[in-house]
Amino acid sequence: MKTTGKLLAAALALTATLAQAQTFEQVFNEQRALYGKGHEFTFEGQTYTTLHPEELEAMAEPNRANAQALIDSADALRAQSAEVGNEWRDPARYIKQARAALAQEQFQQAMNLAARAKYQARVSLQQYEHSRATWHNAVPE
Amino acid sequence: MKTIKTCLLGAALSLLSPLASAAETGFSLETVDPEADRLALQAYYQKRFPGVPLEDYVNGIYAIDPDSRKQWDALMEFPPYEFDLEEGEVLFNTPFANGKGYADCFENGGIGIRQKYPYWNSEEGTVKTLEQEINECRVENGEQPLKWKRGDIAKISAYMASTSRGKPFEIDIPENDPRALQAYLDGKRFFYTKRGQLNLSCANCHLQGSRIYIRADLPGPTLGHPTHFPVVRSKWGDIGTLHRRYEGCYRDTRSVPIPAQDEQFRKLEYFQTYMSNGLPVNGPGARK
Repeated sequence: MKTTGKLLAAALALTATLAQAQTFEQVFNEQRALYGKGHEFTFEGQTYTTLHPEELEAMAEPNRANAQALIDSADALRAQSAEVGNEWRDPARYIKQARAALAQEQFQQAMNLAARAKYQARVSLQQYEHSRATWHNAVPE
Repeated sequence: MKTIKTCLLGAALSLLSPLASAAETGFSLETVDPEADRLALQAYYQKRFPGVPLEDYVNGIYAIDPDSRKQWDALMEFPPYEFDLEEGEVLFNTPFANGKGYADCFENGGIGIRQKYPYWNSEEGTVKTLEQEINECRVENGEQPLKWKRGDIAKISAYMASTSRGKPFEIDIPENDPRALQAYLDGKRFFYTKRGQLNLSCANCHLQGSRIYIRADLPGPTLGHPTHFPVVRSKWGDIGTLHRRYEGCYRDTRSVPIPAQDEQFRKLEYFQTYMSNGLPVNGPGARK
């Protein structure tokens, strides 16, 4: 009886600890929501900024090669999300607009649009994986 | 040492507990239990909206929201689908160029069969919907298939549904073909899977969100959802099929929609209609 009690207490304590620990993603999203992009914050002793990887990519020198590379990588992720049947509405639109901007040599505009598309495509893939693993939690018992 | 063992056991327990509870919900081919799902869904709604008779869920949001019901009752004094229903009957009875008709393609001449759709076709290894077989009938008789979402196909389907009014849905999942259960499970998974930029599943709006405002709209309950299709929606201004609605829902989540009658939508319809087993056919219907 005593052992069972200890066991339950340990399980509860561990569950509570696991529930309280914030992941980097949670901290990032919280900081981004509170302070917007470009804000510095610390996580486990390291300093980070609230910029998404795609926004950092869009800060590269605005030229044809960089814009084309960003558009291509965004389209590759969009294609991945379509492949698994979880494509969002906007990435294809942004990529189309980015290509039009590139054709007019508006390189920064093209990179900004491609970055937005790539971010959404990446998150759609995260959503797909997360939802595949958790959908059953919503089923009534 | 004893404390370490206790902690390790506790850790194992806490990590395994989500798996144990998930297994009860039946989310794998080995554990899924359609009948348990159906009863659990009914129990969910009976607890959520006590006093609403189960058979009233065929009326969608009008079963659980009295204000909407008043407006709907007024609308139904002259049901907006009546002309479509009449046209559907004429279309159904108009022979093809080869002299045959829809009645030749269906059991019992196509009359009073809506409650059996969709069904699992073991020979083809797929879920078949009524609209799908209407078009197959046309093609087999040398006619062009109809467009899936609106117009004539919805009218013919509406007429066929009307001949089944009052008959309880009897969707079957054959036990001798595990592919049928897999199709049901796929449909169930689809229903509960979040998608789109708005991160919404069908269940978010039509289970947890039943009768909770989304801007000015009150989503209807999933129980009884397919019973009244095809429907004339005020928003559409004409009659449409269930898959037209599915596609609209998909767009509403900011997803790239999959096409009507796609296998995923047919499996979704299979799951959703099984959930309404025992409820009477009341299509065609009218909705906001």
